[in-house]
Amino acid sequence: MLERFTLSEKERAHKDLKFKQLEERYKDYSDPWGFNLSTVKQAMDVVYPLYKRYFRVRVFGLENVAEEPYMVISNHTGQVPIDGMLIATAFATELDKPRVIHSMIERFMAGLPFLGDISAQAGSILGDRENCKWLLNKGESILVFPEGVRGINKSTQDFYKLQKFSHGFYRIALQSQTKILPISVIGAEEMFPLVFQAGGIGKKFGLPSLPITANLVPLPSPIDIYIGEPIEVPSDLSPEAPDKEIRPHVYNIEKIIKRNIHNGLQSRRKFFEWVRNPINILMNKTF
Amino acid sequence: MGSKSDQYIDEQDVLKTVLIIGISGGLAQLLAKLILKEKPHWKVIGVDSRSTSNVFKHKNLTSLRIRFSRGSFENLFRDHSFDYVYHLARISSATVYKDLTKRLELNVMGTNRILDLCYRFDVKKIVVLSTFHVYGALDDNGIFLKEDAPLRASIKYPELRDVVEMDQVCSNWMWKYQNEVDSVLLRPCNIIGSQIANTTSKFLMSQFALRPIDYNPVFQFIHEFDMAMVLYRALNDLPTGIYNVATDEFIPLRKALDTIGSKGIPFPITIASALNKILKISNMEVPEYLIDYLKFSCLIDNSLLKEHLGEDTFRFNIKETLNLIRLN
Repeated sequence: MLERFTLSEKERAHKDLKFKQLEERYKDYSDPWGFNLSTVKQAMDVVYPLYKRYFRVRVFGLENVAEEPYMVISNHTGQVPIDGMLIATAFATELDKPRVIHSMIERFMAGLPFLGDISAQAGSILGDRENCKWLLNKGESILVFPEGVRGINKSTQDFYKLQKFSHGFYRIALQSQTKILPISVIGAEEMFPLVFQAGGIGKKFGLPSLPITANLVPLPSPIDIYIGEPIEVPSDLSPEAPDKEIRPHVYNIEKIIKRNIHNGLQSRRKFFEWVRNPINILMNKTF
Repeated sequence: MGSKSDQYIDEQDVLKTVLIIGISGGLAQLLAKLILKEKPHWKVIGVDSRSTSNVFKHKNLTSLRIRFSRGSFENLFRDHSFDYVYHLARISSATVYKDLTKRLELNVMGTNRILDLCYRFDVKKIVVLSTFHVYGALDDNGIFLKEDAPLRASIKYPELRDVVEMDQVCSNWMWKYQNEVDSVLLRPCNIIGSQIANTTSKFLMSQFALRPIDYNPVFQFIHEFDMAMVLYRALNDLPTGIYNVATDEFIPLRKALDTIGSKGIPFPITIASALNKILKISNMEVPEYLIDYLKFSCLIDNSLLKEHLGEDTFRFNIKETLNLIRLN
């Protein structure tokens, strides 16, 4: 069991090397949310063993990431935002030139004691257009989940159903002429295989959602992250264009992510088949 | 040797009279010193409702303690012909004036009267000191709020209603009389220094200040000398308008406390908010908005100010500003 949380010598050395590279890259960087390199190090110390050993993350398509800022757009799955944490870890540890990717978080989370502060120190920002623009101008990359809370909080029967993307991210990309990097995450839905959303009760307590799950600790579902080819945004489309002109471009991104989810599901690793099979039969689904 | 036009300007400068309202405050006195140093022939009249015994002495400075009433101000404007007026006498809710009605009377109605008198008595320019608090410390604040951002402080904090209303009275008046009187409204970030006794300076220097462990908002600071210089330069270099005043730098609160060497008492601010509600029963509470400024950032954009004053407006960087506060 312990090997699920313990890094080998080689893995530890790799993590330390990547942090050194990050330290060099961000030595003169500061941001108005309180970015702190030592918190990034602490986060890597905690998350990397989980990333490597517990979730056994595989990353495909690293060759698609060049040394330039991106709007990283991903599907959102798994009830709690572990997928965001794992994508950020992939960018911090798997690239030749590692980088901190700035996740956009919900207002609810940004205002929480301790969590809001720690996530801001590790590079997260409140999902706000001005915040994005500031970071893109500094050459930083942003991680956006355009499905929002609808994506992360799904009941079992809706697993891997991509929700309709909002358009805000594309308008920001148009304004800053930043390329879109599409990402598909496979495996995060199975961390909590049986879920019922009690959204109505959650709202009464001011929560964006209230998933009721069979397990409280995420299961060690193996995670695959697929990085698609960067997508250029048109230079002749105004960021203030009406939705009907923006929608086809956003739909195209949805389509790429959906396709990668579909392909990824075919080649995912076996995990808790005895749990998955009865659910599949029950739901008459093949997620 | 100056040109003829320079000499003309200098001669015109000789007879200027400046009114500083709120002269007992540290910032007002720094401003008065600066004016008297840069313009040795100018005359400064400083007034305050508080005692003026702490005001420095200078042959061209007259300090008066007056009641902030319509009659007192009318007499003042009738007795002197002011060219410029500085209104630095905003009363904070963290002071002895806990009563909102009283503060509304002093801050809002008082300011309205002063503005009215400036128009009636042909004042050339009025500079009013507001605060960045008008924007409010909210969890969904964007970064670097511009001057046209909504003033949301009074939505969440009724105790800031007078501060927001004072700001709005000034900005409405400014646009109404823009062809008659030049006016500048300044919204500075946290002004700190050893001579200014505001809540932020006291908080940073106190060894018993609460050091938030659950939040770490990012702050902007401006040194009191830099702020005095901005006020002084507002006379010539800032056209009518509203300006945020801040440097380019920012710092998380805990790092700021570390820089000053103030250990403080580590404390979860979430509990402080709850404790404050209990203290409210015995009327010993601290204003709720001040607690929120220890939770959420409220950063302001300085690009408009820099457009007029230049990139090298400020003498002290944030580290120097924080270090200098210890020299008290």
